[in-house]
Amino acid sequence: MKSGSAFDKPRFLRVFTGLVYVFLFVPILVVIVFSFNSQKSLQVMDGISLRWYEDFFNDSTLRESLFISIEIALITMVVATVVGTALAIGLVRSRSRMAKGSNLLMLVPLVTPEIVAGISALLIFSQLGIGLSFWTIVLAHITFSISYVTIVVRGRLATIGIEIEDAARDLGASRLESVRLVLVPALWPAVVAAGLLVFALSFDDFVLSFFTTGEQSQPLPVRIWSMIRFGVSPTINAIGTLMMVVSISAVALAVMIPRFFGRRESGVKVLTGAEG
Amino acid sequence: MNAHRFWNWFLAPGTLWILVLFAAPLLLIFALSFGHVDDFGRGVYGFKLGNYDDVFNSTYLPVLLRSVGYALATMLICLAIGYPVAYYIARFGGRWRYVLLAALVIPFFVNYLVRTYAWVALLADEGLVNNAIVDLGLSDAPVQMINTPWAVIGGLVYGYIIFMILPLYGSIERMDQSVVEAGKDLYGSPLQTFIHVTIPATQAGILAGCVLVFLPSVGDFVSAQLLGGPDTYMVGNLIQDQFFAASNWPFGAALTMIMMLFLSVWMVLYLRRAAKGEAEVL
Repeated sequence: MKSGSAFDKPRFLRVFTGLVYVFLFVPILVVIVFSFNSQKSLQVMDGISLRWYEDFFNDSTLRESLFISIEIALITMVVATVVGTALAIGLVRSRSRMAKGSNLLMLVPLVTPEIVAGISALLIFSQLGIGLSFWTIVLAHITFSISYVTIVVRGRLATIGIEIEDAARDLGASRLESVRLVLVPALWPAVVAAGLLVFALSFDDFVLSFFTTGEQSQPLPVRIWSMIRFGVSPTINAIGTLMMVVSISAVALAVMIPRFFGRRESGVKVLTGAEG
Repeated sequence: MNAHRFWNWFLAPGTLWILVLFAAPLLLIFALSFGHVDDFGRGVYGFKLGNYDDVFNSTYLPVLLRSVGYALATMLICLAIGYPVAYYIARFGGRWRYVLLAALVIPFFVNYLVRTYAWVALLADEGLVNNAIVDLGLSDAPVQMINTPWAVIGGLVYGYIIFMILPLYGSIERMDQSVVEAGKDLYGSPLQTFIHVTIPATQAGILAGCVLVFLPSVGDFVSAQLLGGPDTYMVGNLIQDQFFAASNWPFGAALTMIMMLFLSVWMVLYLRRAAKGEAEVL
């Protein structure tokens, strides 16, 4: 028997990994459990009640913010998916100099701290004289979402050869038809998964919204920010739990979508770009 | 229509969008950083270096250095925690692999503010952790955890560790296992094999993970705001202040430019690899 270092012993690794999962999940369980607390405490569970959820749904500004967040995420999802998919197709198929530039440009938002993206958006809007509103938030969200969609869709595109498109063209399809009738259907699972991912990211986004939100139309995370600064309240736990349900549903759908399309590969692979 | 023109139509909308709403405004930040505030408190473009002098004065320089220090600590802790986890899932996960990966990703989709707020409830003087410590008799009085640098760094680790584990997982999974066997056949101890074979073989994932954790950590202001105090403020808090409460946009722009300067080496490093389409990047 070889004497194993820590890295050779699954047992050590298993315990360590288990502890990391505990670290990851304890805070989330705390949020969920105390959202059902019957008293206003985050230390002692007194009994189970839904009063913090009632508080949330009885508060018209919070309710409005929830719908604003969902609307922003939906619009972002649709626009970013269309633009990002087109960009991904262009990047993989085009050999032009523009493609090289776009490829680099598309990556920059992913490595820029969000606060910089927020300031960028704030400055361009104020420079153009556009008052901060619902639409400025949407525009800012779409910008970073395009890059996400492009990365996810491009990962799929790399596995699809150009042969079927060539075949379609040999059969008399125009370039556009070969994209529309052959390429897009083959990409569809990745496109839908990317869209749902973007929905979740946009729905949860705080920093970009924070810099691009005006007096009106505040999305939920911006409201949470001001609530937290006034002190802890189980209402925040209730909102957090509800948001969790919304975004995790979106992600779960994104993971399952490729299966709905009869693909055997896991959606996790599609989203993380892992190669099979 | 020739092929170039045809595919350029696909590139155009996304490229233009990012140019106008992202790249061009970066130049605006640069321009504004040389400006000043007029009598009405509005930022005005100009040409003076005063904002940069202010960035490096004795009040603000420590904040910059602290931010870089916290972000480096965050990165190293994420690497130390993330590597074993990624290794375990990739090598020993078996058919649970995707379940384990999905479970890692779930917390990341809980709103960042709410997640950080949960840590406030856990770590506060009257919080759950301190109650447990006092109840178990480990200490007579609550241990101060909130408002310390470690609380802020812990919040950052919690927020960004997923960006470390996913690229690490990718590179470990792709690694050719036979090279590890070869290392052992050459009588390398497991530790030697790990250092001389496994780490170099997964270098791309390590690099990608480090960059993807470091970059957002430097610019973060949520963790320091909620889990720290004035003594642990990071440059993100300072910048955020300039654009809101203090309302000094030109100074905020100068701070942003300096922060970006600190980050640019890392960004270029990452972008060069990513542009070549290396798989670990996301």
